[in-house]
Amino acid sequence: MEIHMAHENLNILVLLREVNDPRPPARLMTRGAGISDRGLRRIPNPADLTALEQAIILKERLGAKVTALAVGPGRLDDHLRLAASLGADRCIRFHDHCAGGGDPLADARVLAGIIAILSPSLVFGGNRLADRGDDPVPALAAALRGIPCLSAVTGITLKGEGVEAVRKADRGGRQRVASGLPATVLFAEEPLSRYPDTDAVAASLGARIEKWTLADLGIPFHQVGALGAALPLASYATPRQDPVRVATPDANLPAFQRIISLLSGGIKAREGRQHELGADATAERIWQILKEEGVAT
Amino acid sequence: MMFPNLFSPLKLGTTEVKNRISFQPHLTNLAVGNLPSEKQMYYWGERAKGGAGLIITEEMSVHPTDMAYEKLIDVYHPEVIPGFRRITDYVHQFDAKIFAQLNHNGQQGDGSISRLPVWAPSPMPDVLFRETPKEMEPEDIEEVASYFARCAIYVREGGFDGIELQFGHSSLARQFLSPLTNFRTDEYGGSLENRMRAPLKFIAAVRKAVGSDFTLGIRMCADEMIPGGLDLGQVQEICARFEASGLIDFMDLSIATFYNLYLVEGSMHTPLGYTIPLAAGIREKIKLPVFCTGRINDPVMAEKVLASGQADMIGMCRALICDPFLPRKAQDGRLEDIRYCIACNQGCIGRIGMNKLLGCVQNPAVGREKEWGEGTLAKANVKKTVAIVGGGPAGMWAAKMAGRRGHSVTLYDRGELLGGQVLTAMKGAGRDEFGVIIRNEKSQVEKAGVSVKTGVEVTAESLLATHPDVVIVATGSVPKEHPVGGADGPAIFNVCQVLEGKAELGEKVCLIDYDGHQRAAATAEYLANQGKTVHMITSSLFIGAELGPTQDLYLTRQRLLQKGVTFTPDIAVIEVAGEAGAKTVKGFNVYSNIWDEWGPYDSLVLAMGQRVDDGLYLSLKGKVDELYRIGDCVAPRKVDMAIWEGHRIGREI
Repeated sequence: MEIHMAHENLNILVLLREVNDPRPPARLMTRGAGISDRGLRRIPNPADLTALEQAIILKERLGAKVTALAVGPGRLDDHLRLAASLGADRCIRFHDHCAGGGDPLADARVLAGIIAILSPSLVFGGNRLADRGDDPVPALAAALRGIPCLSAVTGITLKGEGVEAVRKADRGGRQRVASGLPATVLFAEEPLSRYPDTDAVAASLGARIEKWTLADLGIPFHQVGALGAALPLASYATPRQDPVRVATPDANLPAFQRIISLLSGGIKAREGRQHELGADATAERIWQILKEEGVAT
Repeated sequence: MMFPNLFSPLKLGTTEVKNRISFQPHLTNLAVGNLPSEKQMYYWGERAKGGAGLIITEEMSVHPTDMAYEKLIDVYHPEVIPGFRRITDYVHQFDAKIFAQLNHNGQQGDGSISRLPVWAPSPMPDVLFRETPKEMEPEDIEEVASYFARCAIYVREGGFDGIELQFGHSSLARQFLSPLTNFRTDEYGGSLENRMRAPLKFIAAVRKAVGSDFTLGIRMCADEMIPGGLDLGQVQEICARFEASGLIDFMDLSIATFYNLYLVEGSMHTPLGYTIPLAAGIREKIKLPVFCTGRINDPVMAEKVLASGQADMIGMCRALICDPFLPRKAQDGRLEDIRYCIACNQGCIGRIGMNKLLGCVQNPAVGREKEWGEGTLAKANVKKTVAIVGGGPAGMWAAKMAGRRGHSVTLYDRGELLGGQVLTAMKGAGRDEFGVIIRNEKSQVEKAGVSVKTGVEVTAESLLATHPDVVIVATGSVPKEHPVGGADGPAIFNVCQVLEGKAELGEKVCLIDYDGHQRAAATAEYLANQGKTVHMITSSLFIGAELGPTQDLYLTRQRLLQKGVTFTPDIAVIEVAGEAGAKTVKGFNVYSNIWDEWGPYDSLVLAMGQRVDDGLYLSLKGKVDELYRIGDCVAPRKVDMAIWEGHRIGREI
């Protein structure tokens, strides 16, 4: 990443979201009431860690202040401690039971409320969640706050009073865009460049994690969570697997040939037939086949 | 997790099944007095305990005119409900679901048990039962529909989670659907719409009886595989129309009919997963969950079928008869502990076909789960030193069971490998899967703490010198000498010598078959595969007389004929003569008593059966406190008895 210009008092808020190891398929709770989360391996979203890394680089070069934010239950403190060990200056975890069961719009109101209080110069996050794909919440929060949102960013440059970013465009191309501050920047996942050292990890065990609730944000409870959702939840279900096509027995074949094809280890596609004929006879045969197929009359 | 798809839940109507393994419906003959029995409760419960997500019971009769088999449950009277409750309560405690399968077999039965005429769409006898049925009148169809509904209510009251209607390989409904068995000219025959009318009536009646909050599915025959019958294209259309009715929640599948029963219950020569293309074909056309059944005995294959979207549920039948705990072992990643079914069909289909109780060659506990099921093996009160001589199936099972009970067990075998006669039998053409019996048990013997000593020729003296508390002799059997004249001449071999590569055979071979089973047939095919010209002579009515019950007959004879093997039945061979290259066989027709002579042949192969190898037993008799003999060295029989006796003695000592 290129950085050309120093910014005084740069204040970066980094979102740390939790994802489940996306490899095992989802298990549903009884009657589709939800997705069972028992026994799943939970990790910080890899793209969010990329965003954290970008923030830490800015901190090291420009003295920016980095605040890590997680929204959810107590187990997310582990992710915040990881952020602290990597160099985050402040850790905040927002959790409120009223905020549960919301849709992206309701969740965005929470994030917008936090952004309103912290007033960061930059909001960093990953572009995608490893297990669920696109997450519209940071973009919606930016929209609610009226600040620009730069998505799929691979690198940023601070220029003048604003920021310039290179982002992924169509068919592998790159696009350069510029924005004033404050701005929300969502990074495409890149390989992580650092691990915390042992001392930092030890120190992070005692890191202070601020716990915020809805009362701290001053947002009415009916605007968030299930009550504030524009999309009421019906139920969950797992999709049918996409079928890998297998050749099925050709119904035009006589039964004994269908049996042979099943018992010979599956059905094979019908093969062409080879004819060895002279030139005239070949032409005659081709003409006959075309007529049989209805191509020629 | 090793099998994420296999162990993900699936919703069938209103029922959520915890994984994708269904224990498929099959006859057990375990019902008592045509009512649900305690044996069935333990039998199905054992599979639920073993981790199957869904149990579908055996077919249950919905109408008095359907008594194709003597020991079916008759659901049409309320006396079944208490027994059903006991079964469903027992199964539910293991977090499994249980569906009842309701059926009317139509023409695929006879009236010898019910003393009533069988009912069918048209008066056409079934190929197997051969009894001309009564052509059903419209009010008969209404009556069967009302009986389906009545039975469905009893099933629901009995605590089941759902119902599967049997419209598959053996069912009245399929007989209505198929142009092969439905020649009616009224509103129930002719066009597809008409042929579907009666089955739809049955479905609608059941749905009305159970309500919309109860799972209801059907089992369809995906392809009758017979000229003039239903093929996949037609069944796709039928399934789509059944789905469009909105009355059913899932589509279970079977294949073929009694014309080709060997496809319904594919034996060892049938490829694993042979019905997958049909399930995939149905699933392409409908959105309902589709089941796939047919020699899927392995979680790896099951996972692949699910991951490729070729089916939504894996039906396992013989795989779970053989090892009820396959699902749990697969979930725990203990694949080496799974006892894989080999589709020998001897204990399950072979016994049911002869109207005996269900069994399994590799699982003696089938039908006796209460006494022998999981958790019933008690530690021995007194730890004994046990010497077992003979590492065939009988000896291995005895060693495994005794070892698990805490005895100090040593298993001796004179060969370099454990397996006994199985090692020879698996060399027959297409019989290599038979060796899986040994693969399944070998690691279990080791895990039971048994000391295995191979390559050791044990004598009475050497054994007594080790002062064992118990000696179990499982020394098996050897090929019987031919009782006819000239059998000690040149160029004559037995099947074991042939399969073990100890026979130098010429190009033209005559195999004298007094066996009627695979010992003769698989050896003949083994020779034909080597390009030899093989002629088989038997005193039976036909070659392969014992292969019918295991569904091996048709394909075995087909392969033998395709490979140029010729057959002469009805002949009692009395004398063989001649030098190598000019062997002759003399015998007479057992019906006409006319003598004849066959030959010349380069070599003769005899399949004459076995005689006991009991020398060690007799020399130990009276010299050991506890002396037992098991398996073929008591009397030469099939492998199921060897395993049964090994298992029993291992439990009892």
